Amino acid sequence: MLLFLITCSFSFILFYSPLFACEMRLLSLCFWKSIKNTLFSATLSFFTTRMLPSKKIYAVPKVQRTAFDTNSGDQMSVLDYLPDLVLETILEKLPPKGLCRMGCVSKSLRGMCVSDHLWERHVRSKWGRVVGTSAYREWLCSAHSRNQDSIFFDRIGEKGFLGCLIALVRSRFCSVGKDKIFPPVNSVMSWYIALESGKLWFPAQVYNRENGHVGFMLSCYDAVVSYDRRTDTFLARYPAHGTRTSAIESGVTWDRLRAPLVDTSPHDLHISDCLNELRPGDQIEIQWRRNKEFPYGWWYGVVGHLETCDGNANYCRCHHSGELLPCFLSLHKIKISYFFGDHLLINS
Amino acid sequence: MAAETGTPTTLTLKSNDDELFSVAESAAILSVTIRNMVEDGCAGGVIPLDNVDGKTLASVITYMNGISAIPADEEKKKSYRDKFLSDKDFETLADMVLAANYLNMSCLMDAVSAKIAQVMEKKSVGWVRRKFGIENDYTPEEEAAVKEEHKWTFEGVETDDDN
Repeated sequence: MLLFLITCSFSFILFYSPLFACEMRLLSLCFWKSIKNTLFSATLSFFTTRMLPSKKIYAVPKVQRTAFDTNSGDQMSVLDYLPDLVLETILEKLPPKGLCRMGCVSKSLRGMCVSDHLWERHVRSKWGRVVGTSAYREWLCSAHSRNQDSIFFDRIGEKGFLGCLIALVRSRFCSVGKDKIFPPVNSVMSWYIALESGKLWFPAQVYNRENGHVGFMLSCYDAVVSYDRRTDTFLARYPAHGTRTSAIESGVTWDRLRAPLVDTSPHDLHISDCLNELRPGDQIEIQWRRNKEFPYGWWYGVVGHLETCDGNANYCRCHHSGELLPCFLSLHKIKISYFFGDHLLINS
Repeated sequence: MAAETGTPTTLTLKSNDDELFSVAESAAILSVTIRNMVEDGCAGGVIPLDNVDGKTLASVITYMNGISAIPADEEKKKSYRDKFLSDKDFETLADMVLAANYLNMSCLMDAVSAKIAQVMEKKSVGWVRRKFGIENDYTPEEEAAVKEEHKWTFEGVETDDDN
């Protein structure tokens, strides 16, 4: 019976060797081991140690020259024998500027320096807090359409049918050439550069800074912002409100900015799905606007107790009342809001 | 394994230019390559390290001894690494990163790579080409276009003949 099974396992190896070679070898190895332990320990252990020596791979390239020895006469580039892992590790440590500049060294290095995985970390650490995923999605869409446009405009610049044909061929060549030198328009590197260069205006929320009053400073407004590299601050463009046209504020510092928490337009009320779960003491943000002509802002607040409740945790039934729950905006006493079902009204 | 006897074991490492170095096993096994050899029982005699020259190996061993003497305190280890690498020139760093890769010492490789990146950060494109022996395979037009595209990255770069 055992012999039969062994033959079977070998026939499996024969049949499936190209596809499942590794797994089957492992299987047969286990098989051998179990047999070895039970029946033929002495003989088989001899064979297995002879036939299947324990393999530890010392994955090391055999390099017979001193590293970075560029004066040794031949024109071999360090890149030809520098293990990819080493180069990758160095590139990972380079800041964005250095990484861009390394790409100017040669085309092969360029290929490595535009890799998305190198740039994702930089995007996360510099822009993660202020740029939302919806801004990225929007940019991706426009990047795709820009790519289409540039080919299209190249084409219509020429006159007549022949001109179109020449332009078509040329634009193909141009785009091939460009791909080699420039990062793809939808790459993470392009995304980083779009943000860093300030060419891109993206949606964000800007905290108020009115006279350093905490009640105001904890409130923020939707705006589109662009980065100013020279001053390391942002330009913020607020939507038009009241009789004012859209206003631009300069010198907005990093700490006054955050990514929008929801995708709701500043002119719409956000439908929250957690109003029924609110309890006194919860920290919330609510939308408030002066009148219909103004966009909504987001105001920080703490859920308070009903007037009829003395705040004693044992007797408090505020959250059961369902309809009426006052909310005190932090240090901004004139504002008291009421939740009616799903809707939020502000009494000012 | 020799460590079971209780006495500190020393290993003998041989560089590719036939220099011999003695190092405590407890320090040497920071290298995964050497640790595997020790675990496999093939570290009894002299361990040949074909890809590392004597000068670099001496540095690596100094590092091994220094870092293994520090108890598990990441802050202290980091400051030791910074101090250890602070006076090394680019060529030494480059040899060390290759040795660290060969010896599979991730902590040293990370530290040296970071130091190399820090050195390269302010250097010109021409400097990188010279130091790495990289041939410029851009056409002049392409190079101009790439540099124009990334003009902002050339601010604050050390001046050089061929920036």
